[in-house]
Amino acid sequence: MDLLRGVATWFSDPGNWSGSNGVPWRIGEHVVLSALAVALAVAIALPAGLAIGHTGRGERIATAVAGLGRAVPSYALLILFVPLFGLGFSSALPALILLAIPPILVNTVAGIRAVEADGVEAGRGMGMTGVQVLARVELPAAMPAIVAGLRTSAVQVVATATLAALVAGGGLGRYIVDGFALQQDDRILAGAVLVAFLAIGTDRALTAAQRRFERRPGSIPIGAPGAPGAPSSPFAPPGPSAV
Amino acid sequence: MSAIRAATVTFDHVSKRYPGTGAAHPGAVEDLTLEVPAGKICVLVGPSGCGKTTSLKMVNRLIEPTSGRILIDGADAAEREVTDLRRSIGYVIQQVGLFPHQTVGENVATVPRLLGWPEDRRRARVDELLGLVGLEPDLHRDRYPAALSGGERQRVGVARALAADPPLMLMDEPFGAVDPIVRERLQNEFLRLQDSLAKTILFVTHDIDEAIKMGDLIAVLEAGGRLAQFGTPDEILAHPASEFVGRFVGADRGLKRLALARVRDLVLLPAVTAQLGDDAARVRRLDASDSAGFVLLVDDEGRPIGWIGPRQLPDSGGLAAAMAAPMSPLLDRRTTLKDALAMLIDAEVQVGIVVDERGSVAGLVTADEITAYARREREAQTA
Repeated sequence: MDLLRGVATWFSDPGNWSGSNGVPWRIGEHVVLSALAVALAVAIALPAGLAIGHTGRGERIATAVAGLGRAVPSYALLILFVPLFGLGFSSALPALILLAIPPILVNTVAGIRAVEADGVEAGRGMGMTGVQVLARVELPAAMPAIVAGLRTSAVQVVATATLAALVAGGGLGRYIVDGFALQQDDRILAGAVLVAFLAIGTDRALTAAQRRFERRPGSIPIGAPGAPGAPSSPFAPPGPSAV
Repeated sequence: MSAIRAATVTFDHVSKRYPGTGAAHPGAVEDLTLEVPAGKICVLVGPSGCGKTTSLKMVNRLIEPTSGRILIDGADAAEREVTDLRRSIGYVIQQVGLFPHQTVGENVATVPRLLGWPEDRRRARVDELLGLVGLEPDLHRDRYPAALSGGERQRVGVARALAADPPLMLMDEPFGAVDPIVRERLQNEFLRLQDSLAKTILFVTHDIDEAIKMGDLIAVLEAGGRLAQFGTPDEILAHPASEFVGRFVGADRGLKRLALARVRDLVLLPAVTAQLGDDAARVRRLDASDSAGFVLLVDDEGRPIGWIGPRQLPDSGGLAAAMAAPMSPLLDRRTTLKDALAMLIDAEVQVGIVVDERGSVAGLVTADEITAYARREREAQTA
């Protein structure tokens, strides 16, 4: 009880809401770091996943990348870049990008592969170019799977960005790291609560986006028989059941 | 849009071999040479793996031939830019392959959009085509494929293939995914459409009955992708070129040939008719011996109401609809003799009533007359 009261006191202290160690600033750091990491991961994994899914070539590479992504601990990944980029934001970012790539890549590939072959054949047979088939036939159907991958990535990144504080990367992890150092349990718990809320909020927002795509005619809902994602895909979040 | 455009398609020693296997690989094609004249339906038929679909897909180059040339109006398809080539050829596949996230209208407008037609021209064309395939534009334009029946989807598939008015259509078992009754109706509608469109059509099926019904010409392919026979349905049924073709068209090919003749090929028997309200005493004096004493009661437009037998015929007074017994099947002059015979057998009657476009009685056809026709044809072929 003391601890909970301590956390409440911590949140009600105006001193914790201002300056470069205040809650808004730290949330800002956390969000910017996470968003940047996810955006760059999308920039890498989405085109790669679309190309692999469309051509059917390199699927094994995608699977290997996904396996590697799960096997390497995020903490190790974070420390790995410190000798290269020094302490701070610049080492945290590449680690988070690497963490975010596998779910997006795997779900994009699986989503495109699950598109019905006859639509693709009809598109090609009517004279669509490869890019037109991808953009007009495959991508619209695969959007729920792709957004599901994005959602898994984003939630992981938001949670793991907490570790960025260990390499002086800023963010909400500061409260936890500092709390340990100063032996202030209320600070640790306040940090944890903030990270949890941010992660849940991210999940909620992207779930809503995923559902919007699933409700579109012709998209393949996650969890439908033969659909990409659960339960065979390692990165399928416990998504909403088929609409 | 009304000008008839059709292309001649020529297969010139076309082969497709699959690496590392002999010619017996499923889908392989061996030295195929044939010419489909403009405006004709040529059906490629054969058992599975005989290369009929491969042959079709080599025309729009979804599959590239190993050797040989395919000429469309004399121009080598291999030298055309491939997307250009495909946009100029209608393509219908068995599973239809409608884009599920696009409305019916968007689906139909696929090729016009690829060709860069302006929006208003696309919209007008979509409505025209939906009407053409028997779908009310206002009802169907904005629906999604998931909301359509199997038959409606096939119609949309045909409309989509016709969108840019291609001179050539490739149809790969286009009516294969619907039940037999819907298939029959779609086939009839398509034949009626083709009467006015007069496209060149390459049509793949494994069903010999469909081939006979749809084809102006039939190419029978056998395992290994060899052309076993190429000719009109009548030639193939009357003179199978090999044992394989004979077996493939079946032992009942005499019956199948009835599918090639239509009611209009027979001399219709005159129907003895009486109008509503006619005096029974006068009707009694008519000679109805051809129809076992039965007189056909018609309304004032000449449309049939039913048969009145000698025993139902009163001694005097006017004739009324209630006196008439159930009808024989109504036949159109375009009904094939095979269908006509089947209808007579189903209805357990000897006589069918032939009606004209307005529904008025044109004459009668009997089962005996149909079988006599089949016998005469067979004798003429063997003589």
